[in-house]
Amino acid sequence: MIQLLTGIQTSSAALDAERTRIDVISENIANANTTHGPDGKPYQRQVVVFESALQQAVNSDGSIRTAPVQVARIEKDGRPPLETYDPGNPDADAHGMVASPDINIHEEMADMISASRSYDANLAVVKNARAMAMQTLAIGRH
Amino acid sequence: MSPIAAIPSSISSLMPAQAPGIQVPADLASPGSLTAAQPTGDSFSSMLGKMVAEVDAQQNTASQSVAALQGGQNVPLHQAVVAMEEANVSFQLMCEVRNRLMDAYQEIMRMQV
Repeated sequence: MIQLLTGIQTSSAALDAERTRIDVISENIANANTTHGPDGKPYQRQVVVFESALQQAVNSDGSIRTAPVQVARIEKDGRPPLETYDPGNPDADAHGMVASPDINIHEEMADMISASRSYDANLAVVKNARAMAMQTLAIGRH
Repeated sequence: MSPIAAIPSSISSLMPAQAPGIQVPADLASPGSLTAAQPTGDSFSSMLGKMVAEVDAQQNTASQSVAALQGGQNVPLHQAVVAMEEANVSFQLMCEVRNRLMDAYQEIMRMQV
């Protein structure tokens, strides 16, 4: 396999990871008011944990193998649910308290901007690698 | 090293004396120097063939990922685009090699004899 765009594989893995992050953030925002999940409990905010798939290493042929990022796991945030008094709610307990997820929309929006900017940065790397390859191919063009 | 080239210079210097009527150019004295250098490794055409096969494989990968994306499978958008881009760059490289080869050929065909 000829490798013309080596950096792209790493950036592609990062794009995948950031996309997962965006997916999880959208799930968090969508379920910000979910008081009744499949287990009967309110929705728990989720966070994505990244890890590098490989340690950066030098291959036997001297080329450097970069460490792509990957999603290690999607964990539940440990925050306790918010208790609000709403006796009319069907999910209210005996004391009229309703447990709702402790999701701050502003925090999620800030996370989304961060994920979006990371995605942009990795896209810029891909574009740059492509432009470098194209300019190199144009060396002998006349 | 060809066996003739291995002949000591003292013997080869005797050879014109043995056949004085024939003037042998120095370059032709040893037939080994006339035969073209044997290519080491693959010939250019087989290398080009491999390259075409490689580019074809990459084009296939790209079209498969695009088809999978359009078929609603869980293929990320960027993966399909990156596969297309890799195929594009490989194709450009193949075209450059082909253009260089054609330039060399046309240069030789223009040569005055």
